[in-house]
Amino acid sequence: MRAVSDLERRLAAYLAPRLPGARNVEVSGLDRIHGGASRETSRFVLRYEQDGRKVERRLILRRDPPGSLIETDRRVEFAAYRAFHGTAVPVPQALWLEEDPAPLDYPFFIMEELSGFESNMQALLAPPYLPHRAKIGRGKWSILGEIAKADAEKLGLVGLLAPVAPDECWRRELAHWERVLDEDELEPQPVIRAVIRWLRRNPPPPAQKVGVVHADYRTGNFLFDKDGEIRAILDWEMAHLGDPLEDLAWGINPVWQWSRDGLAGSLLPKAEAVRIWEEASGLRADPRALLWWELFSCVKGQAIWVSGGHEYQEGANHDPVLCLSSWMMGNSQDRAALMLLGHLK
Amino acid sequence: MKPEPSHALERLMQALLTELMPAVQPAYRQASVGAQAMMIASVREELDRAAARRVEENRALRALFAEAAPAIMDAALRERLAGAAQGTDDSLLVPALEAGNRALRSLLVELHAHVESLDGADARRIEAAIWRELAASTERRKLSLGPC
Repeated sequence: MRAVSDLERRLAAYLAPRLPGARNVEVSGLDRIHGGASRETSRFVLRYEQDGRKVERRLILRRDPPGSLIETDRRVEFAAYRAFHGTAVPVPQALWLEEDPAPLDYPFFIMEELSGFESNMQALLAPPYLPHRAKIGRGKWSILGEIAKADAEKLGLVGLLAPVAPDECWRRELAHWERVLDEDELEPQPVIRAVIRWLRRNPPPPAQKVGVVHADYRTGNFLFDKDGEIRAILDWEMAHLGDPLEDLAWGINPVWQWSRDGLAGSLLPKAEAVRIWEEASGLRADPRALLWWELFSCVKGQAIWVSGGHEYQEGANHDPVLCLSSWMMGNSQDRAALMLLGHLK
Repeated sequence: MKPEPSHALERLMQALLTELMPAVQPAYRQASVGAQAMMIASVREELDRAAARRVEENRALRALFAEAAPAIMDAALRERLAGAAQGTDDSLLVPALEAGNRALRSLLVELHAHVESLDGADARRIEAAIWRELAASTERRKLSLGPC
């Protein structure tokens, strides 16, 4: 039997006073999960005695790493999980947020684990998930429509997420990701710099509504089961208020077409994905506005790959995925941008 | 006959995927080994073409600058383009070729932004040539493991 690790011991010490009436609080099986662009994610088992009965809970620890692919605010992620829990947008229950690094060396939060489900994009390309791709796709874009339809104020997210005017959504997001490129670029990016200039010359119409934007809504960031049902939307760390088209465009970016069959997010034809989203959200995906946000997605994607490569190069994070993404996804991101502009087939 | 480096990298990648990866625990470490195997596959793909693609691209960029320079209104930029067009790759070592390539690609960004601000057929012709070069440069760097 494996000895209790120092981190497990400290985690139990942190949780014990937060479980009223609990005795013999133990943490075991702390096991890091691969992936997660901005947090170290681990599953663990929490056991304790309460009111004379034994309780066992399977939980997830999301802890800030020393360096990451994306610099994000854990408070926002935690709040988004809390806001959407129990709504038409399935999410795990968020339980504790700790911003003081003292208990576990870095800030973290804890949420319930939804076990037995899959999130890996590659898993979609083989049984038992392969026959359910279209169903998963319909679920994916109808849930995204629900996110777009959601009222941020009723969800309690206004005040926590920075406000933005409908005609400023595009400008704020573009400025943010251009700044990331400026700070982290290790080599010239002539394709993406040209795209940024194109975006400034051809601004989109104002957002139809300012809504909650998940901001990393892609295949790979939700849990699905063997029947093709989506069980939870994950990775809300970049959530913000903005134009809902931003999420739609990100999800259909060609870099998520691992199936290489032209299906958006490896799930559905793009036109069908857009139609489902329009029906569910009650919004319209104006083709000109959508193209703007699709090209913006290429800028944002490239900024993320560049930033990860920078972290790896500087030694802030040794995860090989950061290096691999900067090579492989960086090139694919340029290709996606050139295809959208009609300069590459 | 000695094993070629690209062959050795291929074997190393296969060993990581088929021998080491299944034996590694926990799952996080296993996935990390898989990612490192993919990195080796990408390095192998780049190894053979590393010098050739940079030489080809540097030549293409210098030719583009030579063609574009006479039509450029900004005198300082025109002079820098003409100077860059006269350059050569004196060393075929990849770091030297890469340093030259970065300088040329930085200048390409400036040229592209400048011609976008100009009217006229010459500007559009240069702009079209830049987009063709950007597409070609992306193809030169393509990795077969990428999603698109």
